[in-house]
Amino acid sequence: MEFEPKILGIACNWCTYTGADLAGTTRLKYPQNLRVVRVMCSSRINPSFIFRAFQLGADGVLVGGCHPGDCHYNTGNLYARRRLAVTKKILDFAGLEPSRFRVEWISASEGNKFAEVVKEFTEHVQILGPQTKFKIAGVS
Amino acid sequence: MTNFKQIEENLKKEAKKLLEAGSVAVVLAYTKGADEKHPQPFAAKKADDVANIIFNEYCNHNLARYIVRYAPGTKIAVAVKAADSRAVVVLIQEEKIKRENLILLGIPVSGMKNQKTGEIIDEKTTGGLTNPVVYDVLLGEEIHTGKPVSPYTVLEQYEKMDKDARFAFWKAQFDKCIRCYACRKACPMCYCDPCFIDQTKPRWADKSPQSHGNLMYHLTRFQHLAGRCIDCGECTRACPVDIPLYLFHKKVAKDCEEMFKQAAGMKIEDKLVMVDFRVEDSDKILE
Repeated sequence: MEFEPKILGIACNWCTYTGADLAGTTRLKYPQNLRVVRVMCSSRINPSFIFRAFQLGADGVLVGGCHPGDCHYNTGNLYARRRLAVTKKILDFAGLEPSRFRVEWISASEGNKFAEVVKEFTEHVQILGPQTKFKIAGVS
Repeated sequence: MTNFKQIEENLKKEAKKLLEAGSVAVVLAYTKGADEKHPQPFAAKKADDVANIIFNEYCNHNLARYIVRYAPGTKIAVAVKAADSRAVVVLIQEEKIKRENLILLGIPVSGMKNQKTGEIIDEKTTGGLTNPVVYDVLLGEEIHTGKPVSPYTVLEQYEKMDKDARFAFWKAQFDKCIRCYACRKACPMCYCDPCFIDQTKPRWADKSPQSHGNLMYHLTRFQHLAGRCIDCGECTRACPVDIPLYLFHKKVAKDCEEMFKQAAGMKIEDKLVMVDFRVEDSDKILE
């Protein structure tokens, strides 16, 4: 059986989540491996969310936010960019594949981009295989 | 080589002056511990206490750690070495203490030793500095060794490792952790109350010393200290099971410096990199 990765999506309410809605209403097809959690802003994302997701069995984490400069709260995603860049470096130095964690800027009108990103990321994680390094033994 | 006796004399003299004049409520310095190798942090509150102050090559403690324990507005004099002075700068940037309530007794020093191993720690964990970046009184001659030391050279061998080997290395290290939180206690930047690891709603990680909880605790701590760690190395020296935490902190500090072009705690006017942004930050940092 083919490996079906579990991917956690954390999407900002104003852009990426609306973009995902658009992808839905325009009947675009994308893999069902993504479980989306909506947050009000990408800067709401505590980096511990990402570590915890990997521990609880996520094979990949996709964070979506507004394009820099387009944040609903003006500057939220600019803080998030710095913060999540550090998270990525930490994952790298700890020895986990940092490419399992991706940040994408997807605006509310980019339903197409959302579908494409999810598709591409799912394929990428599929090739990497199950994430076992950080996963707590026994968590399914 | 630093003249430790000379610094001790100057420190005593300065502390006595300040306490007698009543310009500070407390002087943070060092005193004798169990033996010569184990000096202790010491808060001198009266002019008589000054006689107990010592300074030798094992006085590694970062006294900036104790500043946040005093009520806001308390006048404090602190003996600061190079890394400690950067910690003070970060605390001022974070508005934990006001500059005008502090008197910094700067100690230019090289040749400090780790009390466990006896090795000289200069190039490993002082951020490559020997002179304090900010001080009011300097208790000795400034040291100019001539050769600028890069604080990040020790990282090379770990950066070269392949990912799986590095994961195995860190896993073995973190599995040793007994969760005594000595690293947190020793760290001048770890003053959150409650610490994320003590929270129960949400419970971020297990409190028992198991692999996954240890990993969560340490990785989150590295994230919380990004752009704030000033490379004093106290976490590593405090660790009873010798986890080389300073390596990871150094790596995060290096990445922050490369990405945001600013080292932690060098200038009081700087803003901390994690509470700041540039519109022109490149998206490349996320790749």
